[in-house]
Amino acid sequence: MSNRDIVVENLVKQYGSFKAVDDVSFKVQSGEIFGFLGPNGAGKSTTVSIMTTLALPTAGRALVGGYDVVSEAADVRRVAGVALQEIGLDPLMKSMEMLTIQGQMFGMTRKQAQGRARELLDLVKLSEFTDRLVGKYSGGMRRRLDLALALVHEPAILFLDEPTTGLDPASRRDIWAEVRRLNKQQGMTIFLTTQYLEEADELADRVAIIDHGKIAAMGAPADLKAALGGESINVTFRDLDEVEKAANELREMANRTQTDRKVLRLYLDRAAAAVPTVVTRLQQAGLEPLSLTLTQPTLDDVFLQVTGQRFDAPTEDEAETQAA
Amino acid sequence: MGVLSNTSTKVSFASDLRSARSPFLVQLSAMTWRALITTFRTPAAVIPGLIISGFFLLVYEASLGNASGFLPGLAGKSYLAFILPVSVVSSALSGAGVAGQSIVRTIENGYFDKLLLTPVSRAALLLGAMIAGAIVLGLQTAVVIGMGLLLGLQPETGILGIGAVLGLALLLGTGFSGFAVGIALRTGNAAATQSGTFLFFPLTFLTATFVPVSLLSGWIKTAAELNPITYLLEAMRSLLLVGWEGDVLARGLLACLALSALMLSFALVGLRARTRRR
Repeated sequence: MSNRDIVVENLVKQYGSFKAVDDVSFKVQSGEIFGFLGPNGAGKSTTVSIMTTLALPTAGRALVGGYDVVSEAADVRRVAGVALQEIGLDPLMKSMEMLTIQGQMFGMTRKQAQGRARELLDLVKLSEFTDRLVGKYSGGMRRRLDLALALVHEPAILFLDEPTTGLDPASRRDIWAEVRRLNKQQGMTIFLTTQYLEEADELADRVAIIDHGKIAAMGAPADLKAALGGESINVTFRDLDEVEKAANELREMANRTQTDRKVLRLYLDRAAAAVPTVVTRLQQAGLEPLSLTLTQPTLDDVFLQVTGQRFDAPTEDEAETQAA
Repeated sequence: MGVLSNTSTKVSFASDLRSARSPFLVQLSAMTWRALITTFRTPAAVIPGLIISGFFLLVYEASLGNASGFLPGLAGKSYLAFILPVSVVSSALSGAGVAGQSIVRTIENGYFDKLLLTPVSRAALLLGAMIAGAIVLGLQTAVVIGMGLLLGLQPETGILGIGAVLGLALLLGTGFSGFAVGIALRTGNAAATQSGTFLFFPLTFLTATFVPVSLLSGWIKTAAELNPITYLLEAMRSLLLVGWEGDVLARGLLACLALSALMLSFALVGLRARTRRR
């Protein structure tokens, strides 16, 4: 079997004095689903565009399927399938036409390409819509067609840049199922960037969290969560004042506390057993929580821990609150 | 290799493809075909050029047709045959924008980048759009010539001469489409590409548009003598009005080739700039 690894070593991409990607290294094993997480502007897409031969690195190197992305770009294009964040579809073409051309570019005859196109249209459930111009497709259909285009040449390695952004939950689950199937049945290595932690948690064998161009944490989701330690009690209050008072009141009983907007998180080893004490102390302090929940750590918590911010892009209002 | 009939298709297919790359002609015809179908799906991109050329032909002929007798160089000759080349040239030049629009559209919708991620030859990307553009402008020009025939044009050189006029127009239009394509590749912007094609305006009017060069004077005469289109018009007019004049035809062809070569290099430089990795 061919080499299906991705190796990235000390990758740097600099625009003027701004380092979009700052000394990033990681290795993706053959047959792995690797999740690349980060807020907008963290350097995810830049890293992907270097790995997929669309951009050149300023320093460092990347090997995809054993081929150097700078000096062996043509080989990289042959072993890698790419579905970019910006879906590149021609609205005036039909799905069958686009898939056929894609196949022909990868060396198939027109007949072979048409056969492959039919197979893929079936796979992504677009067989009924071959007569419709792509411009008339819904967002979910466009994503599915884009994925099909990336699969035409049976790539050994698949790059998916935010494959489900903007999709409804049902379409998202369709894509997830497809990604899992490709990985399981064909041993395809999958490199996935996402802004949904849930998606990385669900799909990825390992994740890397990238923030300000640097890798902030890397590992299996379960390990990352475990490293955070124990469970947490999350108490929501009406305002930040109350959060602060409660934090002062409860800090000593937790291993660690964290405030996240109007939520106070208490990380402790036996959270459930500590709930009555928390409630009593809050009552004594005259603080009335809006809600109290008990959670296992999530990737969101990991993200908060390593980057000091929530994963999802805060609205302006929330950003202010956070800064306060 | 029988890949498709193989039961373990999936895996062997992938490894076979790694060594595969389609022949240039296959790529080129695929790119030409896609540019053609998308162009014909936006008739709005083609129709105006056609209407303008037809309109000009009718108006020039109607308003100037009877005045031709007073033009010394044209006495007793058909003004229609004299003015038709202007319409042919303007149709070829405006049709040259089609290739540019085709390319800029794929840049704007991201499909261009998608194609760059395949092993497609960069030249096929460029030439496909230009050949499709040539087919479209060839059809446009043929319609304009057809109108001329309906209006009573009787070319001195017959059907062969008509073919030669069409051929010159095709050569000019295709070469000139390199200019539109070059702007498209450089800017990636539809509006810029559109306005770039307005260069055809000075080219078709700062020349012997309505009267022979010999009747021009002053700055416009100088402009006309510098404008390669002038020599092309003279060649077409000689075909329609006089007969087979070797030297006039050669000058026209040469002017056409020079202009085309210039525009094509402009397109190639644009292609390199667009596809260079940064």
